[in-house]
Amino acid sequence: MLKISNLHASVEDKEILKGINLEIKAGEVHAIMGPNGAGKSTLSSIIAGNETYEVTDGEIVLDGEDLSELAPEERAHKGVFLSFQYPVEIPGVSVTNFIKTAINEKRKANGQTEMPANEMLKMIREKSELLEMDRKFLSRSLNEGFSGGEKKRNEIFQMAMLEPKIAILDETDSGLDIDALRIVANGVNKLKNENNAVLVITHYQRLLDYIIPDFVHVLMDGKIVKTGGADLALELEEKGYDWIKQEQEA
Amino acid sequence: MSKYTEDDLKVELENKEYEYGFYTELESETFPVGLNEDIVRAISLKKEEPEWMTEWRLEAFRAWQEMIEPEWANVHYDKPDFQAISYYSAPKKADPNKTLDDVDPELLAMYKKLGISVDEQKRMNNVAIDIVVDSVSVATTFKKTLNEKGIIFCSISEAIKEHPELVRKHLGTVVPQKDNFYAALNSAVFSDGSFCYIPKGVRCPMELSTYFRINQGGTGQFERTLLIADEGSYVSYLEGCTAPSRDENQLHAAVVELIAMDNAEIKYSTVQNWYPGNKEGKGGVFNFVTKRGLCEKGAKISWTQVETGSAVTWKYPSCILKGDNSIGEFYSIAVTNNFQQADTGTKMVHLGKNTKSTIISKGISAGKSQNSYRGLVQIGSRADNARNFSQCDSLLMGNNCGAHTFPYIESKNTSAKIEHEATTSKIGEDQVFYCNQRGIPTEKAIALIVNGFSREVLNKLPMEFAVEAQKLLEISLEGSVG
Amino acid sequence: MDLKEKLVSSFMAFEGKIEADDELHAIRSQAIKNFENKGFPTKKEEAWKYTSLNAVLKNDFSVFPKKENSIEFKDVKKYFLHEIDTYKVVFIDGVFSSFLSSTTHDGLDVCLMASALTKPKYKMVIDTYFNQIASKEESLTTLNTAFALEGAYINIPKSKVVEKPIEIIYFSTGNEAALMVQPRNLVIVGENAHVQIVERHQSLNENPVLTNSVTEIFAQKRAIVDYYKVQNDVQTANLIDNTYIAQKQESRVAVHTFSFGGNITRNNLNFYHQGERIDSTLKGITIIGDKQHVDHYTLVQHATPNCESHQNYKTILDGQSNGVFNGKIFVEKEAQKTDAFQQNNNILLSDKATINAKPQLEIFADDVKCSHGCTIGQLDEDAMFYMQQRGIPKKEAKALLMYAFTSEVTSSIKIPELKAKIAKIIATKLNVNMGFDL
Repeated sequence: MLKISNLHASVEDKEILKGINLEIKAGEVHAIMGPNGAGKSTLSSIIAGNETYEVTDGEIVLDGEDLSELAPEERAHKGVFLSFQYPVEIPGVSVTNFIKTAINEKRKANGQTEMPANEMLKMIREKSELLEMDRKFLSRSLNEGFSGGEKKRNEIFQMAMLEPKIAILDETDSGLDIDALRIVANGVNKLKNENNAVLVITHYQRLLDYIIPDFVHVLMDGKIVKTGGADLALELEEKGYDWIKQEQEA
Repeated sequence: MSKYTEDDLKVELENKEYEYGFYTELESETFPVGLNEDIVRAISLKKEEPEWMTEWRLEAFRAWQEMIEPEWANVHYDKPDFQAISYYSAPKKADPNKTLDDVDPELLAMYKKLGISVDEQKRMNNVAIDIVVDSVSVATTFKKTLNEKGIIFCSISEAIKEHPELVRKHLGTVVPQKDNFYAALNSAVFSDGSFCYIPKGVRCPMELSTYFRINQGGTGQFERTLLIADEGSYVSYLEGCTAPSRDENQLHAAVVELIAMDNAEIKYSTVQNWYPGNKEGKGGVFNFVTKRGLCEKGAKISWTQVETGSAVTWKYPSCILKGDNSIGEFYSIAVTNNFQQADTGTKMVHLGKNTKSTIISKGISAGKSQNSYRGLVQIGSRADNARNFSQCDSLLMGNNCGAHTFPYIESKNTSAKIEHEATTSKIGEDQVFYCNQRGIPTEKAIALIVNGFSREVLNKLPMEFAVEAQKLLEISLEGSVG
Repeated sequence: MDLKEKLVSSFMAFEGKIEADDELHAIRSQAIKNFENKGFPTKKEEAWKYTSLNAVLKNDFSVFPKKENSIEFKDVKKYFLHEIDTYKVVFIDGVFSSFLSSTTHDGLDVCLMASALTKPKYKMVIDTYFNQIASKEESLTTLNTAFALEGAYINIPKSKVVEKPIEIIYFSTGNEAALMVQPRNLVIVGENAHVQIVERHQSLNENPVLTNSVTEIFAQKRAIVDYYKVQNDVQTANLIDNTYIAQKQESRVAVHTFSFGGNITRNNLNFYHQGERIDSTLKGITIIGDKQHVDHYTLVQHATPNCESHQNYKTILDGQSNGVFNGKIFVEKEAQKTDAFQQNNNILLSDKATINAKPQLEIFADDVKCSHGCTIGQLDEDAMFYMQQRGIPKKEAKALLMYAFTSEVTSSIKIPELKAKIAKIIATKLNVNMGFDL
């Protein structure tokens, strides 16, 4: 479904990604782990189309279509969803209004009419229950004054509403207590099916106890240096990243 | 990668034509240009006014001649030539006594273009409308329904004839003839406007609404509004303004006086969309308006304004909080684009004990425009426990515009509490990217963010108006959005 | 003859008395012409809306002291930071006192303006800096320029870290019935240099004084300047302080103004940015009572990108005193990424006291963070009650809260002895002995 080949990217002439190759098939869960500064967040930003980073080589293909010329919103319309590590505050815009706008823009781009209000309400109700969200929460300004847990829950709520093909969860576990982590992971698991895929980006193994990956990749210094199954995450948790570095150097 | 940037939006905005810029061919009766005592007398005569009214006008005219046009630090324009303006222009076919069915079909067509088809309004909304085109009040709807409650809602000319005791008692008590240069001019030459009286204890069952429009070229519009809410009454009043696009500058100098007697409440909402001039800054309306309300004991006056039009706006809807426990509120959104200049704000004068005021001002500047908030919060020595909270936020779009804040805060009372906050910001790139990632294009994202920025004020508008105001924000700022 | 006429007519005599080169003569003549045209400012001017000089100007001030006066150090010791060693530039009735001063030319110049203005070896510096940023329009500044002669001249060369503070003190003895003085200071701080300066005006008796002071400060690249103004004069003294500061890139200048005394005090404090990554700090505490009047008029002109300014003014007003805060942040189109902050908090303790505040923002650049906050209010009643409940008497509780109120400003005083002195003055003003420092 998503195929990344030989991806190189830099910011302000500093090369951060040095040739990433990654293929994610429908129905799969992939995890990218790695030490701080390895380029994990850069990768997620680039898939979503953030223009802060310059793609110098390689391509990102979603369902056979090259994404590189597409604006972030066009990528979103095609089913790319990024759960932000630091979701942005937009004062005065309620969660409901925001998600309504997002859904209808996606429908418009795909040649559909606006979602009828009753259908929208029903969907909002269902998905907010899934994430155990308080109804009052939906009328608050987007991310403004939200706790860390609320922000992340709101991200997954939006993911549930937008039903993406590929969901990238960038450090979704950071700032979450154990209950919030369980709710968020539970939400992700319920949304997963054979037609979509999830890419979890994380520093720690913690989240992977709840969202079990099919593949774990280790990203170091802009490259994927090792790929394994769910057990690789446990090994990393136990031994840290140094041994991989040594293995590389050897 | 193609990206719709703020710059693209700016270009689009500049090319966006004024949507209400159409001119209706109406046969008008227009006075010769120029101003002197004879013209003032002629206006009064034309309107069949009693002698006291003529004298009142002349008194104002004489005072005006002695006055000097004010200069404002942050507003620059060529001063209007007061002898080159015609001070009276009436659509010829207007006859205040006829019913709506008799209204000139061309006029009705014009209202339709304005989106305020009288018939439709009548059917759909609980809104009674008085429409002032150029200078004369054309038709007032719903008169009968209001009459039953004892509410008087008519043109000011009609009020001068039918309710002279009320007009004579209150006219000029809140904004005296000599209050300022433009108020004096208005007092001398005002040709029409709205009058409203809500009797004791009556809650006006519907929104009252006036639409103003300048149609004829080379004319000024000087409407006068007087609104009296007797003890314990309540009224919500809406005012909308448009003008067709013209190359020359047109002058609009209105006076609005509100009187809220003990425990009365007045909500006054304005959506001002006079022609702002073209993208080179040519033409447009000079909007020099004096609006003031007086609050007696326990009374409340709430001003809400959405200012998107006019080449130059100079306007400070104010509250004199004379009675103890009275409340004044000011909620404002001012949008300037291209070469528009807005200098707007409020004055909250706290005289009574336990008086409260709230000021929320949102300024949005784009293009080469200048947007200023100028306000005064004054706490008198008798105003024990007076409270004020002010918040002035500015949003800048692009690097050729300016946003300015000039609050004056004066307190003579030890128990007063005043808080003033102001911020200036731009739309964050991270905010736009976040929206983009959720599938919302940049243009729409900006509209969403601007709407969010203005929400505290938009929420204060009555429902019917809020939709229109939102639409106007989009038209004046957000290009093809919406 | 009113004061303006007196000043204008005495200009010729003044010019005749001193040796000045042509450039200086031209500057002075231009300046007196401007003052002659404009006269003293009146309340009709927006900048003077809340402060009237009318009553003060009615005094029959002598504009030149008739004779030289001297004072004993022991009598004025308390006005100095006597606990520590400092450079001192001291003036008595507007005239330099070599006896009380402690100047230097050893590695830096701390000396008097009169010699800098007249001696050839300073000519290049004077041509480069003198009257370069002081306003040529504002009438009081030009009045000072016309009569500029006595004052402090401080020139710190590149990379010099001045090891002890410099004190500039102007005493007036009251030997004149009423005296007007016009000090002129010039401070140049070279690249990477660092200096601390304390300025003070002090009357020694109750005869009226009008001081119209102008200070120009130039901070070169990465220079650090800490400037403190201590205004705790007797209630017959009037002070108009005009300070102009030009900052080059990455310099940091902080001005603290402590206004506790005087009859009318007006502080015009102007910052001009001439480079990137500049940091400007303006802080002030005003505690006055009776019929005292203090007016702070600040301007920060952000003209270059990536600069910061921080303003924090605290005012406590008692009696029939008047406080004015007029702060302007101006951000020019080029000044992107400006971070400008202004805070003004006021407490009125008496029904007869008045506060007028006008915090202004004028913004022409879009990518900036600018904010101002202004509050007028009373002491926190919950906090008062809390302290009273724990046995702290009302008066002390009140004083403690006011101390705390001013601590955001006092905490950034970098000279410990000065900090102690200011704390002591605040305690005296609040009429309590806390027995501890905050």
